Amino acid sequence: MTALLDVDGIGKSFGGLTALRDVAFQVPQGAIMGIIGPNGAGKTTLFNCISGLMKPDAGRVRFGGREIQGLRPHRICRLGLARTFQIVRPFRGMSVLENVKVAAFARHDRGPAAEAHARAVLADLGMAHMAATDAGILGVAELRRLEIARALATDPQVLLLDEMLAGLTATEAAALCDQIRALRDRGLTILLVEHSVPVVSALCDRAVVLNFGEVLTEGPTAAVLADGRVQDAYLGSAAPCPT
Amino acid sequence: MIRFPLIPVLLVVAGFAAATQDRYLMDVFVLTCLYGTMAVAWNLAAGFTGLLSLGHSLFIGIGAYTVAYGVTAHGLSPWVMLPLAVLIAVVCALAIGVLCFRYGLKGYYFGIATLAFSEIAFFLVSAAVWLGRSDGMMLPAGGDPWISLQFRAKWPYGLMILVVLLATLIAGWALLRAKTGYYWRSIRDNEEAAEALGVPIFGFKLFSFALSAGIVAVCGAFYACYVAFVDPRSVLGVELSIQLLVFSIIGGMGLLWGPLLGAAILIPASELLRIWIGASFYGVNIVLYASLLIGLALFLPQGLGALRWRRRVS
Ligand SMILES: Nc1ncnc2c1ncn2[C@@H]1O[C@H](COP(=O)(O)OP(=O)(O)OP(=O)(O)O)[C@@H](O)[C@H]1O
Ligand SMILES: [Mg+2]
Repeated sequence: MTALLDVDGIGKSFGGLTALRDVAFQVPQGAIMGIIGPNGAGKTTLFNCISGLMKPDAGRVRFGGREIQGLRPHRICRLGLARTFQIVRPFRGMSVLENVKVAAFARHDRGPAAEAHARAVLADLGMAHMAATDAGILGVAELRRLEIARALATDPQVLLLDEMLAGLTATEAAALCDQIRALRDRGLTILLVEHSVPVVSALCDRAVVLNFGEVLTEGPTAAVLADGRVQDAYLGSAAPCPT
Repeated sequence: MIRFPLIPVLLVVAGFAAATQDRYLMDVFVLTCLYGTMAVAWNLAAGFTGLLSLGHSLFIGIGAYTVAYGVTAHGLSPWVMLPLAVLIAVVCALAIGVLCFRYGLKGYYFGIATLAFSEIAFFLVSAAVWLGRSDGMMLPAGGDPWISLQFRAKWPYGLMILVVLLATLIAGWALLRAKTGYYWRSIRDNEEAAEALGVPIFGFKLFSFALSAGIVAVCGAFYACYVAFVDPRSVLGVELSIQLLVFSIIGGMGLLWGPLLGAAILIPASELLRIWIGASFYGVNIVLYASLLIGLALFLPQGLGALRWRRRVS
């Protein structure tokens, strides 16, 4: 088992608030790994530290053996690590195709090549019909898919997905889950934040539980979800978790 | 989506041809192209990259004063001073850009910072004896007009500013349809998302701001030759920066040639109002002009150019 992404002792605080303390885990190549934890546990902050949006105060992030902590986000993206945002950040003044084309320019310098790549990504995700639509008028489900399409257009090896399923209907969520599995089958490594326990147990090979900025436990999903401390900290009394 | 601005280009060339017969018409043509070019350049930074500069008069003033100083103090040709003017403006823009972008100044804060820099320049120049203080500098006539750029006729000026305008439009079009334009617009719409998608935002913001500054510096240099007089009020004042913003908003900031459209409507309109009404009821023309602005802003919040453009979306 080779770790493609190695998070090693990451710490981050905002003024007096410690958002992350000594967070360490490894993401094996080709895995779908879930990060769970209550609101405010530090999941998004962890993504920000990995993707370069924030500089961690302590620790290292290794991606394919190379240390990437402290690099600018655009460099990390070009190394092959892409992310989506929990609070969607579309380019509202552009069409869906143009949004994806911006990302495709990370791999293609010329306009026509970038456009062909962007169209291919949209077709792949079943979004070809909305290519010309203004991103400013999309609904939340479509904006989530646009986030994924843009991230994929940068040709990543690792994809970080931050709560992509929240607020979607059951059908939309199921479709997105299938898409995530298909991406893994194509060789992508996926790290995702997800609140819904059924989704995590159905989708993820491994899981990390964050609680108040610290790793509570980490391991194969079934074992992690069965852990008594996880039940207490995260699931509370809403214990039964269907699979 | 970014199509070649064929119709604006043809109209501008036709405008030049039509104005060759009449000195006064040529003057209006020159002013329209001059302000149109500056507004288009301003909008590359403001409208397409989200760098809402309120201090572009700084770069216009650098262009105008560099030429005026070289000509009056050292008898140099404007052709010699022009590259220097552009160089100084670009270096200043890069310095201001590095300062602002390093410290994360965005949106209105960036606007206020640029305004502050242009105001500093305004007061420094107003006090500088070697730049004529607030009295300004007069450019002497004489010599070969193609060297001193002091023509009796107006059409050579029309031709020169026509070339500058067309070059600006063509360069703007080429950049906007390529990677640069997509990166600029992504920065305008969401910096964090752009950066996460591989956009080196620092470099592309600097490029946008410096390019915009370089183009308006050329316009400032042209202004010095055309009017043969520069003073702080006319080339460094905040009114000038605001005018570029007004032309762009009225014409449409989402279009490359929107700001040109704004200038092409508002400059002739204010000239007409001045001639028809200003002579007999001074001040009324200004009130009417202001009303025109308010009306356009109220009824076309996306700018005139958006009339056509909006319909194409979705
Ligand atoms: N930029 C910031 N400045 C100050 N505090 C922050 C910042 N970002 C996050 N925090 C704080 O850090 C803690 C962790 O936040 P984070 O967004 O990482 O949690 P999360 O696990 O993603 O929560 P959620 O499930 O609600 O998305 C919270 O207490 C939050 O208020
Ligand atoms: Mg979060």
